[in-house]
Amino acid sequence: MDAKHDVLVIGAGCAGMRAAIEAHDAGADVAIISKLHPTRSHSGAAEGGINAALGNAAEDSPEIHAFDTVKGSDYLGDQDSIEIFTREAPGDIYQLEQWGCVFSRGEDGRLAQRPFGAAGSPRTVYAADITGHVLIQVLYEQLVKRDIEVYEEYFAWQLVVHQDRCQGVIAWDLLHGGLKAVGGKTVVLATGGVGRLYRATTNAYACTGDGMSMALRAGLPLKDIEFMQFHPTTMYPSGILITEGCRGEGGILRNSEGERFMERYAPTAKDLASRDVVSRSEQTEIDEGRGINGSVLLDLTHLGAERILTRLPGSRELAMVYAGVDPIHEPIPVRPGAHYHMGGVETDTNGLTELTGLYAAGEVACVSVHGANRLGGNSLMETITFGRRAGRAAAEWALANTTVEVPASATRDAERELKALLARSEGERPWRIRDELGQTMLENFGVFRREDQMQKQIGIIESLRERYPSVIVEDKGEVFNSDLTQVIELGYLLDIAACMLQAGLARKESRGAHSRPHDYPTRDDESFMKHSITRWADGAPELSYKEVRFTKYLPEERKY
Amino acid sequence: MQVALKIWRYDAKTGDKALREYELDAPEEATLLDCLDIVKDRQDGTLAYRKSCRMMICGSCGMRMDGAAVLACKVRMYDIASAGQVPVISAMGNLPVIKDLVVDMDPFWAKFKAMKPYLQPGYDQPEDGREHVISQERMNVIHKESLCINCGCCVSECNAWDAEPEFLGPQALAKGMRFVGDPRDAAKVERLDAYSGEHGIWECTRCYFCNERCPKGVDPRDAIAKLGAEAMKEGIDKDMGAKHANWFVTSAKTTGWLRETELVPKTQGVVSSIKEMKFAMGLLKHGKVPPPFPPHVAEGVKESRALYDLVKEQGRDGALGIVQGERALSRLEHAAGDGHASRDQADVTPGEEPTRRGGE
Repeated sequence: MDAKHDVLVIGAGCAGMRAAIEAHDAGADVAIISKLHPTRSHSGAAEGGINAALGNAAEDSPEIHAFDTVKGSDYLGDQDSIEIFTREAPGDIYQLEQWGCVFSRGEDGRLAQRPFGAAGSPRTVYAADITGHVLIQVLYEQLVKRDIEVYEEYFAWQLVVHQDRCQGVIAWDLLHGGLKAVGGKTVVLATGGVGRLYRATTNAYACTGDGMSMALRAGLPLKDIEFMQFHPTTMYPSGILITEGCRGEGGILRNSEGERFMERYAPTAKDLASRDVVSRSEQTEIDEGRGINGSVLLDLTHLGAERILTRLPGSRELAMVYAGVDPIHEPIPVRPGAHYHMGGVETDTNGLTELTGLYAAGEVACVSVHGANRLGGNSLMETITFGRRAGRAAAEWALANTTVEVPASATRDAERELKALLARSEGERPWRIRDELGQTMLENFGVFRREDQMQKQIGIIESLRERYPSVIVEDKGEVFNSDLTQVIELGYLLDIAACMLQAGLARKESRGAHSRPHDYPTRDDESFMKHSITRWADGAPELSYKEVRFTKYLPEERKY
Repeated sequence: MQVALKIWRYDAKTGDKALREYELDAPEEATLLDCLDIVKDRQDGTLAYRKSCRMMICGSCGMRMDGAAVLACKVRMYDIASAGQVPVISAMGNLPVIKDLVVDMDPFWAKFKAMKPYLQPGYDQPEDGREHVISQERMNVIHKESLCINCGCCVSECNAWDAEPEFLGPQALAKGMRFVGDPRDAAKVERLDAYSGEHGIWECTRCYFCNERCPKGVDPRDAIAKLGAEAMKEGIDKDMGAKHANWFVTSAKTTGWLRETELVPKTQGVVSSIKEMKFAMGLLKHGKVPPPFPPHVAEGVKESRALYDLVKEQGRDGALGIVQGERALSRLEHAAGDGHASRDQADVTPGEEPTRRGGE
């Protein structure tokens, strides 16, 4: 074992850093391992904001926030999780502000709050359109303040499960080379999502489902993994995100005829309807021939230069660099792109998975507050609130238990596996498999899902998985071998894709982000108001179901 | 489109260095980062560079193109490729190269940490447990500093760091200003004192390369100027750089000219100046400095004094008085006041490629 700690956090985005800070403050010896420097984490790309019922802009309460979230989840969210979430969110926001987070201010000098999709009150706290960036900065500042150890550019590869407990991780040291065994009395997964499964995605290159796949391979279940949120405003062709804040500020979606088409699909909420509703409306417009180059238009021109420059300067720059348009003068071409995974490693409300010693928080986890569809602004809040709770629980367990052991066999097995991977000299390069996967996932398992396409995609994934073992790593070196890590990441992607398709095919209804207009166009509460649970067994995903936890919010039809 | 790149390959273990040329086919919207990906995927898997968000926010892909620091994901290749240019791509400057385009960021983060880069609570703590109540205008003072993504482009280009690697550098100092300018921070004076040390604020050579090359508009040099102004305001002026700057102000206020003969003793002190006497006499002999007596007073000195009084009266002698620091805000004023016509002009940041605009 190369090092050991009380609590080992894998991933250094908002959830990972928040967990580490909390575990440290609870008295534990904490370390983070992350394949990126913490400030490079993809939480930093979040633009629009973070939801908490502060009531600064209009009357609001945790109960209204909970109702909006339950409804937004299409009644698949676990209501006890959601109630904890909305109740604790305001305190977490005040804490971030007191740590120095540079949030935007309202006229009265209090934290400003903007309206966001499907929210009953303007409750999204923000920092212009770089909210994730300022959160990442403030959390990293607090990490530095506490002198918390970070194994930077360590690539987590395998969880160490020993004596029915998770006791650490085997990682590849990117900068210096070599496998390192890092022990932890408890381990917190905070590795984020898996948007890289799709050709059009807002996600960074790093979002390859590492934690989900590691947990799956360690025998843990993934919950509601078929639910991938498509963000309605990702730029064509790059998939780069244009924040929902643009519509919050008054931006309007138009089709090729200039029509504000959302008036037809969601007469009340219009452009600020829930994300799944807007994505489906856009896709319908595009499919029915009222798109432009497979896109629709996000029109901000009527907002005026000053509003765009003060409230949405980052979005303007993104549009100028990646789409070649200045939104002050012309609309931005946008289409739905893979954005956020509602599903993930199943946890309880303290982030604990079914394996002793293993916790998860943030996008990698499914706790589940988002159910079948996440509301904009809820994911940043989830990383903070449940990152904190997971960090606290992980520290408490670690401090009450004394031993940590990574058996030598775990390292030896990993080394053997690595050697074999590097020794392979004949085969194909990984990019073709990666690109085929991304393209076909978008075509066959995107905004709309059809039985025949899903069947076809299952076959495609099987054949890609058959090709994967012959993929070659060209770089045989020790130092910054990103060729090696990209091959391992591709393996993670293929695992999660298989699980998503299996769960998606079996869910014979339309709920939230899972939409089957051709065969099962409506929600079927009787058969499917339950969580899908996917495990890996005998080389294939194995599916079962679990009840949704209710408190007081009864299912009704979702209309906006 | 056809793209050609020359990339400096480097292996730190063997010390081997080579400039290799690559030709590739890329989509028209491709960025430099997209092109590097194509090379790595299809031509040479051993090419090493950092990347993640590909949308100018994670700060991973800082590198040099034709000798100037850029974020690879921010550079669109279309114009470069269509002009038939073959840019040379290399690792960032001022930081040790580990492999190809990957540099060792440890010296960078060491300076960052030396700034005590976290809010020191205690000043005006909200009693109700909620948030501090502060106006947006007050927070705008640190708006640009808080945009920093720690990519290292400014450090790569910093001439003062090149000459003195102990210099705190533009990124760390901008981070420092982010706290000095934050009304919630209780350690403003301690910070200014610490940042005014030997390798701090006054070691900057004011070459403005950091402002030029920062991909996010942080303008680190402006942040350093604001730190200097705030330090002065707090009476922290022991450093030679501070004394030097102070003398410029005193000169202008008293005579309307720079009193050059007194500049050296006022900056370095009398003892150290005596050593320079021989050199000074030589200058005097050749008419390179004015004689110290009688004091040479400018005709319009009243104007210069009035200007000094006005700055004091308006309370603009700290960070708020740094004109460059208000560039972002002046941009907005242009946009609000005069409509489109002046905005486009006011909007061009030096060092940035002009971007295609709509309606043109």
